Order: sequence, then C-alpha cells, then structure tokens
Amino acid sequence: MFEINEKLMNLGKKMGFGDMVIISTLNDRKQVRFANGEITIAKRWLEKKTEIFVEKDKRVVSTEISNYEEKHMEEVMQNLNKLMNSVEKKEDYYGIAEGPFKYGEIEETFDKKILDTDPIEHIEAAINATKLDRVAGVLYIDHPQIYLSTSNSVEAKDEGTGIEISVRAFKDDLASGHSTNSSRVLSKFKPEEAGEKAGEIARMVEDPKLGESGKFDVIFDPMAIGNLLSMMGRFTSAMAVEAGFSFLIGKLEKKVASEDFTFRDIGNLPNGYGTRKFDDEGVPTKSTNIIENGTLKTYLLNTSYAKKYNMENTANSGIIMPTPWNLYVEPGDHEEVEIFDVPRAIYVTNVWYTRFQNYVSGDFSTIPRDGIFLVEHGEIKGAIKNIRISDNMQRLLTGIDAIGKDLRQVHWWEAEIPVFVPYIRVKDVGITRATQ
Amino acid sequence: MLNNIIAYRCKKVIRMGDLNEFAVDYAMGKGADYSEARFQGDEGINIMVKNGELQGISVIKDSGIGIRVLVNGGMGFSSTNILTKESVRDAVDVAIKLARSASKLRKEKIEFSEESFHEVKYEVMMKKDFTKLGFEDKLEYLKRIEEDVKATKINVPMRFLSYHDWIEKKIFVNSESARVESIIPRVSIMYNLVVVENGMMEQAPFVEYAFAGGLEHIEKIEPWKKAVEDVSALKNLIEKGVKTPEGKVDVVISPEVAGIAVHESVGHPYESDRIFGREAAQAGESFVKPDMLGERIGSDAVNVIEDPTLPNSWGFYLYDDEGVKARPRYLIKDGMITEFLLNREYAKKLGLNSNAAARAVNYNREPIVRMANTYLAKGDHSFEELIEGIKHGVYVKSFNEWNIDDRRYQQRYIGREAYLIENGELKEPVRKPIIEITTRALWSSVDAVSRELEFHPGTCGKGEPMQGVPVWMGGAHARLRGITLRR
Repeated sequence: MFEINEKLMNLGKKMGFGDMVIISTLNDRKQVRFANGEITIAKRWLEKKTEIFVEKDKRVVSTEISNYEEKHMEEVMQNLNKLMNSVEKKEDYYGIAEGPFKYGEIEETFDKKILDTDPIEHIEAAINATKLDRVAGVLYIDHPQIYLSTSNSVEAKDEGTGIEISVRAFKDDLASGHSTNSSRVLSKFKPEEAGEKAGEIARMVEDPKLGESGKFDVIFDPMAIGNLLSMMGRFTSAMAVEAGFSFLIGKLEKKVASEDFTFRDIGNLPNGYGTRKFDDEGVPTKSTNIIENGTLKTYLLNTSYAKKYNMENTANSGIIMPTPWNLYVEPGDHEEVEIFDVPRAIYVTNVWYTRFQNYVSGDFSTIPRDGIFLVEHGEIKGAIKNIRISDNMQRLLTGIDAIGKDLRQVHWWEAEIPVFVPYIRVKDVGITRATQ
Repeated sequence: MLNNIIAYRCKKVIRMGDLNEFAVDYAMGKGADYSEARFQGDEGINIMVKNGELQGISVIKDSGIGIRVLVNGGMGFSSTNILTKESVRDAVDVAIKLARSASKLRKEKIEFSEESFHEVKYEVMMKKDFTKLGFEDKLEYLKRIEEDVKATKINVPMRFLSYHDWIEKKIFVNSESARVESIIPRVSIMYNLVVVENGMMEQAPFVEYAFAGGLEHIEKIEPWKKAVEDVSALKNLIEKGVKTPEGKVDVVISPEVAGIAVHESVGHPYESDRIFGREAAQAGESFVKPDMLGERIGSDAVNVIEDPTLPNSWGFYLYDDEGVKARPRYLIKDGMITEFLLNREYAKKLGLNSNAAARAVNYNREPIVRMANTYLAKGDHSFEELIEGIKHGVYVKSFNEWNIDDRRYQQRYIGREAYLIENGELKEPVRKPIIEITTRALWSSVDAVSRELEFHPGTCGKGEPMQGVPVWMGGAHARLRGITLRR
C-alpha cells in the first residue's frame, strides 16, 4: 500500500500541494450475528481504501478512493486541485506534525491465532454460559492494517487484530442481562465471562416493579457508565467544543468532576480495542489526562488545534476532528462490595439512547435497560423497571462518590469508543418515569 | 416528474450490472439456494462551516457490491469495493462459505416469501441539478445562513453548518429474476445554533432540511429563513419564557413532534425483525407481538402511514433492497394496529408478502427492516381549531431531547420552542415542557388531528454495523387531552 501512497504523494507534489496526508487501509473483518440462540447471518468484509487529505495555502480538501488505476488516481488528484482553487482559506488551520517519528511496539495488539479461530465455538461458549435459551448477540474478528504517509516525512505501518463479543440473554421479555468482552489477543478473550454475566443479570430479575421518580444514589455497572463515558469522549474533542456540541466549553483548568475522578485517553494502551501506534498525522499515540482529579486539563487535540490553543499536542488527529482512541478511568480504591454497601441505591446494569436537551449545558437523559435493581446495604432487594436517568452530565461527574478498583473494557454497539471503566457510584441522580 | 422511469445513459453502471449478474449466477452455480447482488455507487460532496470558517470539504466517491446468499437455510453476506470479476467471485465464495457454516447453528431454516419481481429502472429528476454547480455555489447556501443569522443582531457565538449532496446509484439483481436500477440524488443542509443572551443560553441542535431531488427543494424551504426563525424563537424564550404548567393540561404537538413520536413509538415497534428478536442485542425488541394485529393502540383519530413513495422525500424509494415494489403501509388505521414493516424473511414467517421495508445504507451492509417516511395522517381540523378547543394547555412546536426504551413503550420528548395556550389563544413561550409517557397513553389521548401535513428529515440508526438511513418523519398536528407535563 505504500506504493499507492507514494504515487498519490508524487501527484500531489506536482500540483503544488503543501501538507498532504495519505492513509491507506486494508480491513479484513468478520461478523457473526445471533438471536434466539441461532445464527441470523455471517458476514465478511475485505476492503481496501485510501483517504487523501491535501492543503494549499490554508485551503483544505479531503476525499477517499478505492480504485487504484493510475489514470483514476491522477484524475482524483486533478479534481482536488481544481476544487482547491475555488476553496476559501481555513484561517484556523496551523499545519500537520513534522516527522519522522519513532514507534515502539505496543504489547497485546496483534495475535495471529485470532485470524484462524472458529467464531462459532466462541458463540456457543457464550450462549451456554448464559444458562438461558433466548440469547442474542454479535461476534467480530478484526484484522486491520494501516499505511500512513505524510508530506512531513512520515511513513508508518500499523497492523492489529481483535476479537469481541456482545451477549444479551433473556429470561423473559422483561428480564434480560447484557455483557461484552473485547480483546486484541486470543488468550485474553473470554466469551464465556460475557455470557455468564449476561445470564446472571437476567436471572436476577424477578417480577420487576415500577420504579419511582426522585433523587437516588446510583451504582453504575461498568457497562452502563462505559456507554455514557464513550459518548462523553467525543465531547472532549476541540472540534466538538468549538462547534457547540460539548458542555466542556470554557472550562479548561476548572472543576468539572469529583476530585476522585481522573479520565484519560490512552492511544497506546496494551489490549485496547482502539489502540493505534500513531494518529492520523503520524504522531506516536500516548496517554493524556483529560480530567485530572476532577479538573479539566485539556481537550483532545491534533497539531493544528494544539498550535491554535498553544497547548501540547495530545496525538488525537483526525485531521478535521480530533478523536479519542481508548478512554480510561483511573481505578479508585473501592472493592465492588464496598461500592454496593450503601443504605439505598439503584444498580443500573446498562443504558441506551442517551440524548441531550442542550449539549452546551450538558442536560441529558438516558434509559436504563436490562436488569435494574434496588440495593440496600449491599443486598439486592428486588428488580425495578421503566425508569429514566434525567440529569446533567457535569453534575453526574461531580456527584461521583466511589470508584471501583477493577477496570473492564466496554466496547459495543452503544459504546463506539472503547472505555476502560470500573463500577462507579454517583450520589443524588435524577430519576424519572412516565407520568401516564 | 419524480416517478418517471427513464433509461440509464451511464456506461459504467451497465458494466456494474454485468458484475451483479455474474455474481448471482456464480453463486447459484456454487450451490446457493438464493443469491442477490447489489451494486451501490455514491458520489457527492460534504461541506462544513464552523463559526463562519470553512472547515473542509470532503469529496465522496464510494462504490462496491454486496452479495447475500442463502445456503441450507443459513444466510451469508460479503462485500467488495474492488470491482473486478475476480474480487466479486471471491466475495461470493466467502458469502457461500459463511452461509453454509451459519446453517449449522440454526434450528429453523431461513426462507423468503414469494414475490413477483420486475426488471425496472427509475431516476429522481432534479430541476436544479447540484452536479452542475461548483463548490462555491453550494457554500453560498451556508454563507446565507451565516449572514442572515448575523443580521438579526442576536448573539449566536457557536454556529456549525453543513451541506451534503450525493447521487446514489444502485443496481439490484437476484436469482429470482429481479433487476432494479435506480438513481436518487439527495441533498441536505444541517445547522447547530447556540444563542446566548442575558447570560442565558439556548440551543437548536441538528436542525436539518433534506430531500431526494435537486436544489430547488432547498431553495423553496429556505433554511436561512428557518435559522433566523429558530434564533429569534430562542431569544424570545430566554427573555419571555415561563415555567411549564403543572397538573394535567391539553397539549398540541406539531408535525415535527408528532413525527418523532410516530417514528419512535409506531414505526420502530412495528419492524418485524424487532418483533421476532433479531435486533435484541442492539436496538432491542418490541412491545408489539405478532398476535397484536387488529388490536387497538390509540384513539379513532390516530392513523399512521409509512410511505417510501412520497415524492422527493428523504426516505424515498420505489423498490426496496430486496427488489420488492414499494407501497404505502398503513401501520395504524382508526387507532388499530393494521400492518407491520416486513422484509421477505419475516413476511414468510407470518405467511404474508413483503411490504418492501428492506433497506441497506450502502453496498457493504445487509438489507434489514427499516422505515422510510412515517407520518401521522391528516384529520379534519385546522391548526387554529385545535388551539381554539383548549382552555389551558401547551403547544409544543419543536423538540431537542428525546428517547424511548428498547421495547418502544416509554418515551420522552422535551420541547425547544413551545407556547402556553390560554382560552384558545397562543401566549408566551414555555421553557422545556417534558412529555414523558407510554405509547398507549400517548396515542389514546389524541382527540383531533389537523388537515395540514409537514415533514422533517432524520437519520434513523439501526443494525450492526450501524446503518443510518435517511427518513422523513412528520404528518399533522395532534391534540392530546389531559397530559401531565414535567418541568
């Protein structure tokens, strides 16, 4: 793929482009979906694509190609050049990173064994572990290869593997549990753990009662808080902040969360499903404290935004929009039993459909799904149903009063960005339910 | 004009058609019980402007073929964006191998309903053809929003605008003699505007105007005027907004709010794949069960129609992605559940015919059961008559936050622009009225519906990997009696 990058780079040079980023990817992805305990469809994608970003005098244009005939590539670059001449300057564009860079190997990001593993075996293991008949879910096997070339002396390759499963088990229509397991290496992939937990939650639901409105302490399962933090991760991008899609605007160096809460993005995390050696400009990925002991320290930046804000580059390029790789909550000092040891709380195992009334103020609601339980002094006192968490994102972070020791990686349909997160307890969370 | 069936002129597309036929024939020769190949090529442009500055332009050019087969009752899917015979042959081999392997973990074979198929071509015509305009002309639409909002002198410090157009070309061929070719141009303008006045802030996020067709539709609806109306309404809300009334009141919901409500609590739960649990681990299941056809779910005033064939609609198509001819679907008639959304797999399970609800967002996605354009059908009242009939209530004109549980029974909509109704007249703006209600209570409370129809676009998310498909939502105004609003 580097030959393709080079050809495009040479064509771009002839046209007088300044900054250029060419990212070619070879993706081999397999998916097996199942429902009612049987396979509904099996899929495989083999895709080859090249993203092209070019700049000339602060004018920026991008496109993507999958046809590599020389004539076609030439035409594409000529069209970009033609378009470039009519485009206005992006005044807040300050360039891409200067290479070359050195990249170390990141542990637990490639395992050849994953490529030959039988997905059906893993699905059967997960379904059997639920000990229930009605089970739905999906399994993925991933093998991405990224080839990056830039006009600033970067030529870098990253190749990874991954395997993950999402399992939802039903005891009946109103009694379900959901869990996931993701790994970049086969030895750490535990489909039966996902099945076991999904089944356990579903079996715990007995005759759920209608929940009450009011303020309640809420114990979030890693899956539930992971979904919320995955969405919040996008709000930490400088682009989202400027565009009015984040409650973090104007809050750098201000308290936005409980002092116990440290929230990072770690691009080079071993076994992280989002781990990459480098960002889209070739900058080696790293660990960045976004929120440190409750204080917002930085937005996620690429080179251009870093220069604009006069801050350190966080290695999260996206050329147009910086994006997180793996979000990570610094472990707390609470055992799981301690988190549950409160006079009264609601234990939420999963949420979905998080939507904002106002992105800038952070007012939102989200809907608990699967098992929801009343907890008293560490004991499950019964299941409830039909409640909604209706609160404010910053208030939720500020209300955190206990963080667990053990992190779990949450990455599935509802949590697009992987999050490493423990059990988290939050005080006085707003709960509502239908008025009629 | 819209529904004219015209011949293609494009050589390239014909070549792709040959590849489709090759794929289908090759799959059948390799032992498939059923096979289909769907070429899709999208070409267009995406322009983003943030706080008055151009952020970048993406030129979209993507094409490929998706292959879906049934072997021994198992389903396999594979796609390729390398449009050569060799690559397509490999994709077919993969799909067949996957289907065969999937069939081993099936209790019941997947089968499709019998349908009559056609060989047909159709194209949505553009009066103002966006492919003939330069980038600057398209940027002009966004600049006009910037300028007109600025001219109001209202403080709007955060502005994010986007323009998106593309031509969607599809060729569908299956082993049962279907051949459907379509060309659908799509154009959309979206804005996010944040108003800050008197130290208070209000937001109109993700407001979109979108059509299947040319720029004449954008020019007719004038998003720049809508943006001015939106920021003026937010300023008015900041300055004059009052609290939402407590206790039971009567509520009138606009076509925008009725649209999201029918989409979430009627369209989604009537999707047959949800009803049968296929989406259980993702978008969830449904409170609706197969034996609920004919059951009452709302008042006599409630009629909900799902119609992919609405001219120039965002969700427009004449044939679905299984090659079945589209028609309006009557989901609720006079308050009774009358029809589900069906593809061929679930039509067969129910002993029915497909009603052409199978859609795939791109060549690399499987077709699944989707909505297209869902709306609350018109009644016989004028909007004024709906309001006149209310002593004390609230008119909810637009919404920001919304969500619904994954069985589609407990929903919530929070008004952005809303007004008090006193003695049959609209009064001052109301701050964030919250309708949090069950599906049955919502549709049972409707006592009258207006005559005028209006539609709003959205991107409906479902499937795994996620497939965001263009839809319209809307219909008429509806009057709801005795609703307990939250503040």
